[in-house]
Amino acid sequence: MADNNIFLFVPNLIGYARVVLGIGSLYFMPTHHVLAASLYILSGFLDAFDGHAARILNQSTKFGAMLDMLTDRCATMCLLATLGTFYPSYLFFFQLVMVVDISCHWIHLHTSVMSGMTSHKSIGEEENALLRFYYTSRPFLFCMCTGNELFYSMLYLLHFTYGYTFLGMSMIKMLVVLLFPVAILKLVLAIMQGGSAWRKLGYIDIKEREESNKKQ
Amino acid sequence: MTEMADNNIFLFVPNLIGYARVVLGIGSLYFMPTHHVLAASLYILSGFLDAFDGHAARILNQSTKFGAMLDMLTDRCATMCLLATLGTFYPSYLFFFQLVMVVDISCHWIHLHTSVISGSTSHKNIGEEENALLRFYYTSRPFLFCMCTGNELFYSMLYLLHFTYGYTFLGMSIIKMLVVLLFPVAILKLVLAIMQGGSAWRKLGYLDIKEREESDKKQ
Repeated sequence: MADNNIFLFVPNLIGYARVVLGIGSLYFMPTHHVLAASLYILSGFLDAFDGHAARILNQSTKFGAMLDMLTDRCATMCLLATLGTFYPSYLFFFQLVMVVDISCHWIHLHTSVMSGMTSHKSIGEEENALLRFYYTSRPFLFCMCTGNELFYSMLYLLHFTYGYTFLGMSMIKMLVVLLFPVAILKLVLAIMQGGSAWRKLGYIDIKEREESNKKQ
Repeated sequence: MTEMADNNIFLFVPNLIGYARVVLGIGSLYFMPTHHVLAASLYILSGFLDAFDGHAARILNQSTKFGAMLDMLTDRCATMCLLATLGTFYPSYLFFFQLVMVVDISCHWIHLHTSVISGSTSHKNIGEEENALLRFYYTSRPFLFCMCTGNELFYSMLYLLHFTYGYTFLGMSIIKMLVVLLFPVAILKLVLAIMQGGSAWRKLGYLDIKEREESDKKQ
């Protein structure tokens, strides 16, 4: 039992640390941007290690996977809420991003678990070329996620400082402008991925009803 | 093909109600920072329809996993967005609203996830709830209803208070009085959610432990 006490596995200890750092980041977010950004970045940095630790130590758990997922979702949600207080005229946009982020990840995970449990694994195979590329190309996926995070982080910092300037232009502002299309594209991809998962869940329902009809 | 038409769950009545709830919710969101009467009306209407999609599903035999998720996510996102709006109205309390958001989303998510995963294994009885308060919360429908309603009312009144004092009674704003009276309900709901979430996290962990023990035995 001691060997299998998953609550003390290394990846999950890293996960707890990420939560504590995340809450700390949240506390300082409205006022101390350097401290908040450092804690936020450290928490995200540890995210790279818990996955590796789990594989190397054979300590992958469902618990750890959920801890990882929920920490990411809540961090993003809270950053967007903070941005809503910094840029209130764009609150509706930040709320839409929050809703898309939470709901698309949630429906995707839920449908994956559901379809893994039924015999309907291959329902709704992804035919959309853009989404297939998104799934299969790791460099593209990495650039999208990083660019997206960077966009909202830069928007955050811009509230406090112009940062370094280059040819009279704020570099932070330049990054915001350059990365805005990445954030929009990520939003579009998430909506497509979510729509695909909703459809798949619906087909699982349809299959179940057809099978129970046949039995009658 | 008539079988397919009968079984097109995307057009089932409860799910059509669900789509309407989403549209009303987004509309409420759009007007939330500025037009409180319109936003509150759309929000309340969306919540009101929530009572009907469940009944329609039962009466018409149109319960679906799709509909259940649509219902859950609409509720979670509505609460999350209201809290985000409150964060812009009362920025000194942003940290509190963010904690409530985090607890609401994560406790519902982990609870649903663990239920689905444990429902399909033989570990249905793992982690039976021994905590008396949580057992009462689960089993007493009037208590559950009062908690949820009181909680929603607290945040709704906080929202309205930003715009108006509403009616006054003996010189005190009724909206303000409701906020003060319902604050303990909101805190208690938060505590219960954290306990419920902790219970689900523990259950998920025990599922992992059982799986590892069983795979150890096989070796």
